[in-house]
Amino acid sequence: MSNGVHEIEDAALLFVFGYNGADSHPIVARRIVRAKQKGATIICCDPRRIETARIADMHLQLRNGSNLALVNSLAQVIIEEGLTDDKFIEEHSSGFEEFKELVRVNYTPERVSAVTQIAPEDIRRAARLYATSGRSMILYGMGVCQFAQAVNVVKGLANLAIMTGNFGRWGVGIGPVRGQNNVQGACDMGALPNSYPGYQNVTVPEIQAKFEKAWGVKLPNKAGIALTQVPHYVLHEPEEKKIRCYYVFGEDPAQSDPDLPEVREALSKIDLVILQDIYMNKTGQYADVLLPSTGWNEHDGVFSCCDRGFQRIRKLVDPPADADVLTDWDIISRISTAMGYPMKYNNTEEIWNEVISLCPGFIGATYEKLEKYGNIQWPCRSADMSDKGTSFLHKDGKFANADGRARFSSIEWQKPTELENDEFPIILSTVREVGHYSVRTMSGNCRLLRNLEDEPGWVQMNPELCSDLGVRHGELVKVLSKRGHCIARCLPTERVKKQAVYMTYQWWIGACNELTIASLDPISNTPEYKYCACRVEKIDDQAWAEQYVLDEYVKIRESMGIDVRGNKRGEAA
Amino acid sequence: MNGYVQGDPLLCIGCRTCMIACVVAHEGKRIYEIDPDGYDFHPKLKVVKTWLVSVPVQCKHCENPACQSVCKSEAISRVDGAVVVDREKCIGCKSCADACPFGAVQMVPLGFVANPDGSRRVVANKCDLCRGVEGGPACRRVCPTAALRFVEHDDVRAIVASKRAGTVAMTRPI
Repeated sequence: MSNGVHEIEDAALLFVFGYNGADSHPIVARRIVRAKQKGATIICCDPRRIETARIADMHLQLRNGSNLALVNSLAQVIIEEGLTDDKFIEEHSSGFEEFKELVRVNYTPERVSAVTQIAPEDIRRAARLYATSGRSMILYGMGVCQFAQAVNVVKGLANLAIMTGNFGRWGVGIGPVRGQNNVQGACDMGALPNSYPGYQNVTVPEIQAKFEKAWGVKLPNKAGIALTQVPHYVLHEPEEKKIRCYYVFGEDPAQSDPDLPEVREALSKIDLVILQDIYMNKTGQYADVLLPSTGWNEHDGVFSCCDRGFQRIRKLVDPPADADVLTDWDIISRISTAMGYPMKYNNTEEIWNEVISLCPGFIGATYEKLEKYGNIQWPCRSADMSDKGTSFLHKDGKFANADGRARFSSIEWQKPTELENDEFPIILSTVREVGHYSVRTMSGNCRLLRNLEDEPGWVQMNPELCSDLGVRHGELVKVLSKRGHCIARCLPTERVKKQAVYMTYQWWIGACNELTIASLDPISNTPEYKYCACRVEKIDDQAWAEQYVLDEYVKIRESMGIDVRGNKRGEAA
Repeated sequence: MNGYVQGDPLLCIGCRTCMIACVVAHEGKRIYEIDPDGYDFHPKLKVVKTWLVSVPVQCKHCENPACQSVCKSEAISRVDGAVVVDREKCIGCKSCADACPFGAVQMVPLGFVANPDGSRRVVANKCDLCRGVEGGPACRRVCPTAALRFVEHDDVRAIVASKRAGTVAMTRPI
């Protein structure tokens, strides 16, 4: 995020785009609620009537997959009506003329209203509010990122902030509220195919030399392979390029990746699969080696918040004496040593000191400061105690490009990959539900959260669609796509439109990733989880379906070594 | 006058933490130690989500409770400012669930108390304001957005006073 999470409540206007805080991050949602209490205007862009939409001043209930059409149209109105911050554009940006030309004719609110399903007057009103609040902050989430056109929509949102001068101050900017806990940390630490820790590119010779010197080994200068490209590299590349070993930690691709039938085929064809996790999961069923590691409360470390804030996490409890588990960093050290590179640390502070010594943007975020101040947002470039980090980026209009200017991006809206058709007439979009986190590795093992929601999960459907299909609340239905099918419970809700249904991706039985499409954004390689074509079918024999769910659940849990004695479903009255 | 817990739909984010806290408050900490399938999960309030509103619905602890009036087995009574159900006396006739104008009474099966024929015994379940629980209503204490509050006599007086002020403001000479 360009600005701190704590700044959310001080914005004069929150523009919440494809971000469902209440279900994804209740603690961030609390900031949105507080902003509202403090008098902020809220504009919510989401195809569903999410909690934020309820308290918003405007809800733009756009059609799924029309993101960039709407964003470019908002820009068109801001330019057309002379609401741009011309001084900011002149002094701190480049590429505005080209962008102006792109949106001028083709992105008028009238032109895009068929695609976005939003009345032109609403687009105009939202654009005016955003451009004139004086302090507008954009928050976006997976509703932007999980499309084949994702990075370009982010750039489109950045265009809005640049042209209105909403950068480099308190309570403005653009905030990707990340998908997972510490996903920011994973990126910060270089768990990306193209960078070392601190976003230092592997293809830059000086960077390569710096890390070679620090670690005393030769390093490659080519970017690696993205997680979502693994199936392709196993199934479709020639022998010499094939992936032979897949070392997975803290991840469950056999549950969370799109097109699960393909993922399973890939996993069963890889020579060696290693899984390092706190509990058994779906991927573990394909693993040759399991490395049990400690949970979040059993080890020390540093997490990064989505707003670049480093925070220490501290061990609360010892793992059970007979558990035979190690911390992740200890496992990595031992594997490394066994492979011929002796790696030894005594504690996480030693690791952290190495990280910050190699990353100019992190160098001032010492353990001492994390301890004293609780939270240090990078960049923090000085070890001096007076450098407490950076709450918001781009102060005085200085941007990270070589010329110090923000760049406008002129990009046309593109349709989603797999559109509805006669056989699969409904859009399937995957979403979150509060209470269950990610692939349920943790929350599925929390008894109370399991009591609240359990297998096979729900499919959110418009009541009219339910009555067309003759299905009722709680009834088990079959959801199908070109790639596969699964069974879930029907949840009629007027908060969704008839054209799309919504499922959460953590359920083993109601596994919506059996259906999703592995169409990737060309830059981020994030899959189009938010759009594929599907069909919902009524199941006539409900007794059979209920029994199927029970049997499957027991089967899966047994295969993961879970004690299933006395297994019974909580009564849903 | 009985107090009651009321949710504010402008603050509620529909997270249902209140429902979990309700079960924990009534089952006690043993819930974390026993077999995960060895207890009943029956929150005494329910978060309802509509087009306009997300908010938990729970008992208003009426002064002349309809549920109590219709109860044939004297299972419902007023105790220390709360309307409570005695599960032992409840015969499961469902009259209270039908009589309550707010939908605050739910019939729930007890997983570990069987009827003579082996079926699960069904009883009335409703908010008891966490009677006997330290700190008062648990739902209110855990809400991440402080959307729940305990409404007492003075609060009702304040609500009425502010509405009267509004009425006066609208009054014009005849």
